Amino acid sequence: MAATAPATQRAELDVYRFDPEKESAPRYQSYQLDLAPHTPVLTALLRIRTELDPTLTLRYSCRSAICGSCAMVINSKSRLACQTPVGPELARHGKIVIDPMRNQPVLRDLVVEMSPFWGRYRKLEPHLIPDPEHPMPEGVATSMTPVQLERFKETPRCIACGACYSACPMVEADPAFPGPMALAKLYRFVVDPRDGATKRRLTSVQPGGLWLCLRCHLCTEACPKDVRPSERIMDLKEMALAAQGGTENGSRHALGFKENIRERGVLNEFKLVRQTYGLGEMLAQVPYGLKVYRKKPETLRSPKPIEGRDEVEKIYEALDDTEGA
Amino acid sequence: MKLAYYPGCVAQESGKELDLATRWVCRKLSIELVDFPNFSCCGSGFIDEANPTLNTAINARNLAIAEKAGLEILTVCSTCQGMLTLANVRLKDPAVRAKVDGALAPIGYQYRGTTGVTHLLKILVERVGPKALEAQVVRPLKGLKVGAFYGCHLLRPQNEVGSESAEEPHQFEDLIAALGAEPVLYRGRVMCCGFPALFVKEASANRIAAHQIDDARAHGAHAIATPCPLCHISLDTFQPKAAKEVGHALDLPILHLPQLVGLALGAGPAELGLPRHMVDPGPALARIGAVAVPT
Repeated sequence: MAATAPATQRAELDVYRFDPEKESAPRYQSYQLDLAPHTPVLTALLRIRTELDPTLTLRYSCRSAICGSCAMVINSKSRLACQTPVGPELARHGKIVIDPMRNQPVLRDLVVEMSPFWGRYRKLEPHLIPDPEHPMPEGVATSMTPVQLERFKETPRCIACGACYSACPMVEADPAFPGPMALAKLYRFVVDPRDGATKRRLTSVQPGGLWLCLRCHLCTEACPKDVRPSERIMDLKEMALAAQGGTENGSRHALGFKENIRERGVLNEFKLVRQTYGLGEMLAQVPYGLKVYRKKPETLRSPKPIEGRDEVEKIYEALDDTEGA
Repeated sequence: MKLAYYPGCVAQESGKELDLATRWVCRKLSIELVDFPNFSCCGSGFIDEANPTLNTAINARNLAIAEKAGLEILTVCSTCQGMLTLANVRLKDPAVRAKVDGALAPIGYQYRGTTGVTHLLKILVERVGPKALEAQVVRPLKGLKVGAFYGCHLLRPQNEVGSESAEEPHQFEDLIAALGAEPVLYRGRVMCCGFPALFVKEASANRIAAHQIDDARAHGAHAIATPCPLCHISLDTFQPKAAKEVGHALDLPILHLPQLVGLALGAGPAELGLPRHMVDPGPALARIGAVAVPT
C-alpha cells in the first residue's frame, strides 16, 4: 500500500541570529516553510540552511538524540531540536521561536561556547578513581550485581547535551554551582562499587555547591534522556549528610529543619535561622530582620506545638534514629 | 464543599495574611474549612533532603488524619501541595509503604491511601469554576495586569505532582482573567523563586528572585500573584534585599492568590492582611480602586 504524505502547514520560525565579531546586538530572523507536523525542528533548520539561508549556523550531528549536539531553546524551553516535532509547538504557540542555549556565551547564531559547562563538570573528577587498597584485576571484566547496577538509576543515559545546564536558574545566578549534569555524573561515580573516592567526593561536593540546588526540577523537565538530575542531586544530599553531617549552611539547614519539626511538629522560623547560620551571618541578619519583624511579629515567636506532637516524635524514633541520620 | 484545611507552617506564622485571606475567600464562596490542630509540617522539601522516608511518613500521618475524617485536603502552598502529593505517590512503592506502615502502626494510625490533596487554585478553577467566580466579583480587577507565579512544586516533577502542563500551565491565568484582571505571560511564571537557597547563599537566591520580578515587570505586570507562601517570602519579604543585590529598584507588589481573589470579591486590604507585606501593594490597589490613589 502506498504511503500518503501527511498534510503540511505553513510554519513561521523566528531564529536568533548573532555574529558577535561583526554585529553589535542579536536579532531575530523570520523564515517561512511548509512543514509536516512530525518534522523535527532540526530538520526545519537544516531546510532553512539548504533552501533559504546558507549562513545560518548551528551545531548538530546524529539527528537521533544520541550525540547531544543540537540542544537549543525552542519556544523558551531548553531541548534537543532533533527530538522536538514542529506540530505541537505550532499548535501551542502559533510559531516557533528558536534561541541558543542559555547560560553560555554565543559564538554565532545557535552555537554556544560550552567550555564553562565542561569546566564545572571537570572540577568534579568525572572519571573512575580506583581504590588503591582494592585494585581491579587486570584484564578481567568486573561484574556487578543487579542491585549494584540498579543504583546507577538513569545516569548512564546522559548525553551531555547541556539542556539541563541551560534550564537551571542557579547556574545562571551562581558560578559556584556545578550544574545539574555535573552533579548527576558525580552521583554516577559515588554509587559505582569500583570507585574508591566516594568519601572524598561526598565531602568535597558539600562546599562545592551541592546545596545550591533549588529542587526546582527544571533540569529534570528539560532532560531529553530522562536522567532526572534533580532527583540524583537529592540522593547526593542524603548521602553527603549521612557521610559527614552538616558542614555548610545548606546541610545545616536541612538537618536543622528536620530537628526543628521534631520539637513542635510545626516550624519555629526564628530557631531555624539560628540552626542554619553561624554567629556572624546571624548578626548580619539583624537589621533587616527587625524591619520584617515590624510587619510580621510572628517571626520572633515560638509557635504552639501541634496536638499529637508525641506521635511525630515516635515517627522520628522509628525512622530517623535508626537510619543513621 | 467541605475540605480539610492544611494551612502549612508559614501561613500560621510569618505569612498569617495568607491564612486570613484564605478564610475570607472560602467563607465568601461557602467552602467549609475544617481545621486539624494535629496536622504537622510537610517537611518543606528540607526533611526530604535529609531523610526521604521520614518525610513520607510524617505526611502519611497527615494524610491519614484527613482520611479518618473522610475529607480531601486543601492546601494553600505549592510546596505543601507537592510534598503531600509526593507522599501519596511514594507510598505506592511496597518497600516505602512497609517502612511507613511500620512507623504509623505503633501510634495508632493506618493510611489506606485514599486522601486527595488539592491546592486552592485548582479548587477555584475546577470546582467553583471561572463562571461562578466571575458572578461573585463585585470589584472587577479591570486595568490590573497580573503575572501568575506558580511555584515549582505545584508543577514539577510533572509525572508525580503536576496536575496540568508544567511547561504551559494556564489555570492561574484563567483565574486572573475571571477576576477581571489581565494575565501577563512571561517566562518566569514557571521558574523558581530562589527560596530554597535563601538560607544557603542569600545573594544568589536574591538574584534569582530579582530575575523573575524583572521579567514580570518587563512584560507589563503591575503585580505578581502566587499560590505559594515560600515564593512570597522570596519575592516580597526579601524583595528590598533583592533590589539592593541587583542594584536597581524592583517595586513590584506580590499578592497571595486568595488576596487577589478576595480583592475582586470585595474584601478590604486590611481584611486580607495586605499591610503586612514588605513591598507596598498600594500602587496595584489604587489601580482597582481598593485604596485611594496616592497623591
